Amino acid sequence: MRDTPKVGISGVRGIAGSSFTPQLATSFAQAFGTYVGPGSVLVGRDTRRSGPMIENAVITGLQSTGCKPLLAGVVPTPTLLVMTPRLGARGGIAITASHNPEQWNALKFIDENGTFLTPSRASELYDVYHQREFRMVPEHDISEPSVPRDCVEPHFQEILNYVDIEAIRKRPVKVAADCCNGVGAIHTPRFLEHFNCDFVACGLSVTGQFDREPEPLPHNLGTLSELVTSHGADIGFAQDPDGDRLAIVDEKGTPIGEDLTVALAVRQVLDAHEKGPVVVHLSTSRCIRAVAESYGCPVHLSKIGEINVTEKMLETGAVVGGESNGGVIIPAIHPCRDSYAAMAVVLELLAKTGKRVSELRAEIPTFVLVRDKIPIEIEDAVNALRSVRRHYDDRDLNLMDGVHVDFDDRWFHTRISNTEPVVRITAEAPDEKGALALIKEVRGLIEGVANI
Amino acid sequence: MKTLRLANFGMQGMVGEALTPEIVIDFAAAFGTFLNRETVLVGRDTRQSSRMLRSAVIAGLTSTGCRVLDFGVCPTPMLQFSAERYSAAGAVSISGGHNPMGWNAVQLISSTGAFIEPVGGDTVLDIYHGRDFERAAWNTIGVVEEVNDFTGPYFDALLEFVDTDAIRSADFSAVIDPVNGAGCRFVEPFSKRLGVKTIPINHEESGYLAHEPEPRPRNARQVANLMNVVPSNIGFVASSDMGRLSIVSELGETASEEYTFSIIANHVLGKQSGVVVTNCCTTRTIDEVASRHGSVVVKTRVGQAYILSAMADEQGVLGGEGNGSVAMPEFSRAFDAFLMMGLILEAMATCGARASELVAALPRYHMVKRKVSGESHRCYQAIDRLSRNETWSGGGTPSTVDGLRVDWEDGWVHLRASHTEPVVRVISESKSKDEAENRADEATRLLEHVL
Repeated sequence: MRDTPKVGISGVRGIAGSSFTPQLATSFAQAFGTYVGPGSVLVGRDTRRSGPMIENAVITGLQSTGCKPLLAGVVPTPTLLVMTPRLGARGGIAITASHNPEQWNALKFIDENGTFLTPSRASELYDVYHQREFRMVPEHDISEPSVPRDCVEPHFQEILNYVDIEAIRKRPVKVAADCCNGVGAIHTPRFLEHFNCDFVACGLSVTGQFDREPEPLPHNLGTLSELVTSHGADIGFAQDPDGDRLAIVDEKGTPIGEDLTVALAVRQVLDAHEKGPVVVHLSTSRCIRAVAESYGCPVHLSKIGEINVTEKMLETGAVVGGESNGGVIIPAIHPCRDSYAAMAVVLELLAKTGKRVSELRAEIPTFVLVRDKIPIEIEDAVNALRSVRRHYDDRDLNLMDGVHVDFDDRWFHTRISNTEPVVRITAEAPDEKGALALIKEVRGLIEGVANI
Repeated sequence: MKTLRLANFGMQGMVGEALTPEIVIDFAAAFGTFLNRETVLVGRDTRQSSRMLRSAVIAGLTSTGCRVLDFGVCPTPMLQFSAERYSAAGAVSISGGHNPMGWNAVQLISSTGAFIEPVGGDTVLDIYHGRDFERAAWNTIGVVEEVNDFTGPYFDALLEFVDTDAIRSADFSAVIDPVNGAGCRFVEPFSKRLGVKTIPINHEESGYLAHEPEPRPRNARQVANLMNVVPSNIGFVASSDMGRLSIVSELGETASEEYTFSIIANHVLGKQSGVVVTNCCTTRTIDEVASRHGSVVVKTRVGQAYILSAMADEQGVLGGEGNGSVAMPEFSRAFDAFLMMGLILEAMATCGARASELVAALPRYHMVKRKVSGESHRCYQAIDRLSRNETWSGGGTPSTVDGLRVDWEDGWVHLRASHTEPVVRVISESKSKDEAENRADEATRLLEHVL
């Protein structure tokens, strides 16, 4: 696939130095400033090497439209989401490619309520961008950027107010953290101090480069696993570079997987805070449904994409949810992914139950989830999905995003990727054999159409 | 027509109309591409828009892999002075200079501190037009470092260059007006280190200029009024980039900015004769002062980059323009108001002369300036036609270095198409005021006829 910028519901992404240039960032900042109108706009970034360059490009673009940039500096993305409404800003721009590798960067646009732009608002913004009639103010209407007082601590306070902090402090655990050389390297130690946790960490240097692959997948967490076992930690927390996703390693040094990370958070929210609907997206493990059902709570499925989960949660009045990639969302704190909120409720779970992470994990029914992808031309992909849909026409179909088919104890989901020229297939069953059989069946249907 | 002007020395225009962030980023990226991943200094004045343009310039430079040393608020001549000392390949100064509020400019500076040579500037423009910018890969994007301690070495060198002892023992008092521009925070260290009791006015970095930033008599009234109440030896008014200067005498009389260069030339050439470089529409006072001291005058096209370039070619000791700007290559390759103030104070101290006496010692000419409106693409043709009109220029010596200048025994007329407005500028100078007016009228009439 050509190296082009990717403009979509999760913002504007690209590779710094090729498809993602300061010129592009400035034009999008101008479009955003024109779209939200003159007022303040909160701007923050992660630790990537290209961050300061893109930050300057965003500042100049915003100022030219008469917006006042509020410079939060290097902060977690969830901090920007929390602080945008609190500071009375018209919107916010997060400069981060989240879990993408270090050469990537992106702009993510936040509305005045502190959620990412909904797909409909994002398309309005992109219309402004494409029309290129940006507001330009004369010199006397230009506003100097300002630096708001500590943004991160008020965000942390929201989380501390939500959990039973005294309970956690009474039974402090030993935490190992992998901050991924990202925003966590600056802010996570201070966060954990609030809980009196004994604390060891890796990925603490801030050089603009990452010591590991930034996605907190089990196979990227070797260093953290060693840290847990060598220091006898009770739990390991792995963040991504902008601090929205979390993955957990148990006390034996075994990554429990991002799905189970979300499941533990869901369990604690439903158990100790509030019972209510749970929202996850279509490719999420059924272990979360199992947890929700054990508390008698319904589970709603959303399209893939963080903002889609957020919208569904607000629509259904969900109390907890998230993405299966380790993105825990607790709307009582704020309705977007937050690794800090996730850490806090999991620490609360440990304190309240007094159990080990491996024990808690064993209490959740496990399934085997397998992911696969098939390289394919776009036209073929569309036809292939139609064929899958017709094949399972008499089944329990969900067509809101690709094709999702539910069987009694297993399911699969197939859709066209937004980011790669592939069709993705996710299947889950009680055992690996069952999951692989599902994948094979769907793969056969798709390959038949595409003549691969 | 929009106000953007893009030329080989840099770009200027109205903020919010012509100077858009995209254009500035692209221009900085073109300069960065030209400099090939080396170190670049960035400085700015205090205007409301300068901080915004700084971000655009830094984004553009770092995207080409250049390392940026950010000087923050810094007078253009101090940035130029620092270029060699920080081993920079170039520098970018963001300042509207003498232009009114609402304008700004991005000036390109070479490794020597001079404005980029016209031929180098042409190459930058070619890169800008081709838009094929160097793009540093993600892990070679330029880094930005802040520099805060650049004033010490600058003032050390300045104190070394002028006769500091003489100035200190003269126990001068002065009023200095940096028009809320880039000079504000440097007026006090300058005065302290030279031992001059100074009342600074308009020295707040508010983002707003206190008056038109062109140092000339009508903008020097605040200084003159204050000096009527608080007697001082001299008053100084500078432009927002500290590149231009005019003076007010101890009598509270505002002196034309045309005198700044002549006063300094009269003093400097008295100590050391040599080549003087100026543009082709500067007062003939400078020719007389030079010949008084056995020095030669070389004339260039209008534009400071041309003067700095010719000074290097001719090994000139002094260069300047009638707008109140002076450079001395022995000190730096910059038009520098701090240097000008130092030299004028030195002249007063070493000659025991009052400011009014420095002005009175100069040969007097009368200068008349006119503008004739005309569509810009017709102005050059009109001037061309006049250059062939021998009844008009009869008896004079024509020169076409830039526009048309005709010199007679007792004066001269210069016609030049403006780069910033759709007008032809007419300057006429003569020993006699009537003659200057007559010649300006005649040239204006002929131009109007042709246009």
